[in-house]
Amino acid sequence: MSYIEIQCGDVLSSVIFIIEGELEQLPQRSAIEEHITHCLPCTAEIAHERAMHDLLQETLRRTCNERAPEDLHEAIHRQLRAQLAGATEVVTQFSMTEISIEIDEFGNIEHREINIEQTHIQHFIDEDRDETR
Amino acid sequence: MTSKDLVLESAADRTIRFERDALAFTDQLYAAALRYTKNPEDARDLVQDTYLKAFTSFHQFEEGTNLRAWLYRVLTTTFINTYRKDQRRPQIAQAELEDWQVAEAQSHTSDLGKSAEVEALENLPDSDIKSALQEIPEEFRMVVYLADVEGFSYKEIAEIVGIPAGTVMSRLSRGRKQLREKLAAYAKELGYSVETSKKTVAKAALEKGGKS
Repeated sequence: MSYIEIQCGDVLSSVIFIIEGELEQLPQRSAIEEHITHCLPCTAEIAHERAMHDLLQETLRRTCNERAPEDLHEAIHRQLRAQLAGATEVVTQFSMTEISIEIDEFGNIEHREINIEQTHIQHFIDEDRDETR
Repeated sequence: MTSKDLVLESAADRTIRFERDALAFTDQLYAAALRYTKNPEDARDLVQDTYLKAFTSFHQFEEGTNLRAWLYRVLTTTFINTYRKDQRRPQIAQAELEDWQVAEAQSHTSDLGKSAEVEALENLPDSDIKSALQEIPEEFRMVVYLADVEGFSYKEIAEIVGIPAGTVMSRLSRGRKQLREKLAAYAKELGYSVETSKKTVAKAALEKGGKS
């Protein structure tokens, strides 16, 4: 019988491929399939491995379901906002005062002051600058 | 509207999109970070760093592709690069891992071993399950977690962890095996052992009877 071509040990060492449904990755796929159809202990073993895997998965999923602390959500939110606002803003302030003093022929003094102020805010985002390169 | 306004607007929109889509995974990423780092403080920092890195490279993320897998990739890469505590820890021999076959040939497990294992998994407290998971090597723990808790395919895991698909299979197989062995050991301590199970005694008696 062809199922003797391959040993039980060879089938069982590939059990992960069987459980994951990835048997087609293996060159000895057909030999394994043939063996399984004839070998009762291997069929039972694979069924057990599958059941154990399902149980392990269920157990792990039940256990590893911690929720992030509430303040972590807030911290991430703040961090993103800071990233957007803080690191990307360039503020240019321009301020000028013009003083003129005029004395006319009668000796009157005329004093003028002109204040010019300008604030310019530019936003730069590093990634966007990368994109335009 | 100037070009600067356009840049600003797209960044703001992107932030909104990021917060809406990516932040929904905070709890999941935190649970994964706990498995990776093994402690709440580092897990916190890791998740925060992950989101910062993900945000600054969010423009590289292709909309419509798997955001969850992408975030796990950022998480895993960040962990490997920054949080791995013991950098000098000897790595598992690569050749050993590339081999898809489990080194030792498995043999058929006895029915006794099977029932004890099921009993163990069903009865062990959560704390023991988590401890067992913490005790298996990091390389194994990651893939087992990504596959069995997060449900990623082995191809996705290969992408997330940055290893060949064959290595994922090998680590998954070894990792699950080690985890089950650890759990069995815990169960034995708690008294769900083969020796104390009634079935064992019965079968042992039967075998004795058969031989004599």
